[in-house]
Amino acid sequence: MLLDVNNVSIGFADTKPMQMVVNNISFQVDQGEILGIVGESGSGKSMTALSIMGLHKDTARITSGEIRVEGNNLLSMSENQKRSYLGKEIAMVFQEPMTSLNPVMKIGDQVSEMLAIHTRLSRKEQKEKTLEALFEVGLNNPEELYNKYPHELSGGMRQRVMIAMAMICKPKILIADEPTTALDVSVQAQILALLKKMNKEHGVSIILISHDLGVIRTMCERTIVMSQGKIVEQGLVEDIFRNPKQEYTKKLIDAVPSIHKKMVEIETVVQSPSKVNGQVSKMLSVNGVNIYYYQNGRIRRGVKKQIVKQASFHINEGEVVGIVGESGSGKSTLAKAIAGLNMFYEGEITCTETRPQMVFQDPYSSLNQAKKVQWILEEPLKIKGGYTKQERRRLVKEKLSEVGLLEEIGNRYVYQLSGGQRQRVCIAAALMLHSKFVILDEAVSALDVTIQRQILNLLMELKDKHNLTYLFISHDMNVIHEICDRVIVMNEGKIVEQGDTGEVFRAPKDEYTKKLLAAIL
Amino acid sequence: MRKKNLNFILGAILIGIVLLLVLVGIFYTPYDPNAMNGSIKNTAPSFAHWFGTDNFGRDIFSRVMEGSRTTFFVAIATVAIGTIVGTLVGAFTGYYGGALDSVLMRINDGITSFPSILLTLVIISIFGIGKYNIILALGIVFIPSFARVVRSEYMVQKEMDYVKMAKLMGASDIRILFIHILPNISSMLFSTITIGFNNAVLAEAGMSYLGLGVQPPDASLGRMLSEAQAYLFSAPWYAIAPGVMIVITVLGISLINEER
Repeated sequence: MLLDVNNVSIGFADTKPMQMVVNNISFQVDQGEILGIVGESGSGKSMTALSIMGLHKDTARITSGEIRVEGNNLLSMSENQKRSYLGKEIAMVFQEPMTSLNPVMKIGDQVSEMLAIHTRLSRKEQKEKTLEALFEVGLNNPEELYNKYPHELSGGMRQRVMIAMAMICKPKILIADEPTTALDVSVQAQILALLKKMNKEHGVSIILISHDLGVIRTMCERTIVMSQGKIVEQGLVEDIFRNPKQEYTKKLIDAVPSIHKKMVEIETVVQSPSKVNGQVSKMLSVNGVNIYYYQNGRIRRGVKKQIVKQASFHINEGEVVGIVGESGSGKSTLAKAIAGLNMFYEGEITCTETRPQMVFQDPYSSLNQAKKVQWILEEPLKIKGGYTKQERRRLVKEKLSEVGLLEEIGNRYVYQLSGGQRQRVCIAAALMLHSKFVILDEAVSALDVTIQRQILNLLMELKDKHNLTYLFISHDMNVIHEICDRVIVMNEGKIVEQGDTGEVFRAPKDEYTKKLLAAIL
Repeated sequence: MRKKNLNFILGAILIGIVLLLVLVGIFYTPYDPNAMNGSIKNTAPSFAHWFGTDNFGRDIFSRVMEGSRTTFFVAIATVAIGTIVGTLVGAFTGYYGGALDSVLMRINDGITSFPSILLTLVIISIFGIGKYNIILALGIVFIPSFARVVRSEYMVQKEMDYVKMAKLMGASDIRILFIHILPNISSMLFSTITIGFNNAVLAEAGMSYLGLGVQPPDASLGRMLSEAQAYLFSAPWYAIAPGVMIVITVLGISLINEER
């Protein structure tokens, strides 16, 4: 047994009574194993990992238990002893490749620093080893990369650099905390393959923390399911998926949108009314649209860069149309142009709805932090005008209950709400003026699976009730497949394929679509 | 946590004392602050004259009450000009960018590149000496610092999705600028205002000390310091009273500001 976490509890000392975030958890990791830890945000999975590394916040206290690596208790070691362990024997890869590398340090220096700290190699040997390590993680010209800065690299490349850094001292344990969550799907598949290769070739044990059951399922043999600081279930991944014993695990598995699931349900789905009647009226039509972006424009316009090239499609009333593509494919830019937030375009965009609304990905930034929910929801009515104070109150109250929020929520500030509640407020705000067309820009991407499920259900309910039309932008093929009637695939600013969701997923014509579909877990 | 609270309480006590003196001074001073009395020139602090008397036999305590009021008035008015104009300039330049931003920010840079005393002198020499002109001059000098801070905040805030939501609701630009975004930068604006107030108190004192601000026989803390200079050794209490008042004000506000 390589790592033995025994009865560990962690709490925050700055609140009284102490707020416990991890309660009496015990698990083991064997040599060469990949162990998954799955759970929603706030379940304590990251706290557990950080405490193994000793990286928990100053206010967090490990109140009981032991963490043993090859029999040595990390918690009773001196700082100096611990330091020689961390990085060398246990290494970590973080979620956010943008912030986990030092932006003012060259890649080569950052990676070789590990060697400078933990080995007695000469500078020349360090460089050789660094180049080797960079090459091993699939970075093809390490010589060139060695002198580059992090901002010159893509997200996937940075994550490879992080893995190279973590692996360079040949650690026995690698902790990967949501290593692919911030990456595009096709890149995610590559990084996971790389982790698996490291595991096979070097026999490193990996603790893989993820909220994504798909990732856990493809990578791990054994997994732990955490909820509210406790381990609710652990065992072989396949057993847990096939036969979850706990209510919570069941809920988690059911919440995952999946291609397999839809295939069964498809017969029961009632065709949307606009199709049944045979009378199709268009909600939106986009014709030969080119969208540009001006770099460094101050007095004169700077360099003109084309983001979207010759986009043409239409959306019928009552339809849900998905746009799928990776970051940088131009899908959000196109959405903004449709919503009227970007006027620098050529071509024709006609929309029957005069005020299309949008719901954004990040519920933190899309609501005004300085205002209460009541104010935020009354604002569209005030702008439109013609409502008395009582009417506004009543309408807000109705809308809150419609999106499944209590009336009291109106008196809260945004920072007092959870992510799911915030997204409900965003949806309520978008529907305040009875817009029939809503653009959902990665609207469920930042949410935990069970919350994502609730929001998707809410969106579908509202669509049926108000006969809404959605343009649903996502990088998540599973979600797209589940809720969209038709799908548009974008790559590098171009629409490469569009058609009925079922057809596109069953028989993709374009190479890029095939690649995206192959990357689905 | 505890240390911060202590700072706040201490600051509040100091500012409370100053405010009490200023407010009482509006309605009542122990003596007429401008009444001269040749028989009690430069007397040391006593029960009759708490802070002593000056070279004209005027009661320094009464003059400190009156002088603080003048200084406060000048400082508040100066900061008001700086905040209002600075916020307007910062909001529009930060939000719209482009040519307007370039032009106004270059003017801003121009103002900042002069030493502030020199610039104040230039403005005073155009408009003349006096309490209201010093407010105008200091106000203009204060605009750029406010404008720059507000502008950078607006540049950050305008990219936030809540601004896009407001646009989609059909909110006008003015509404977005001042009803949606402004409350989000209020905490930053508050600390800029308090720092600005402190600087304004010091600037007024400096200008009146140079004889460019408040004119005799009116009292202001800076004016009093200037007059006290000649008697620094024979009547040190004359300089100490207004000097301590300035220190208490600036320190009190800094302590309160630190708490935030």
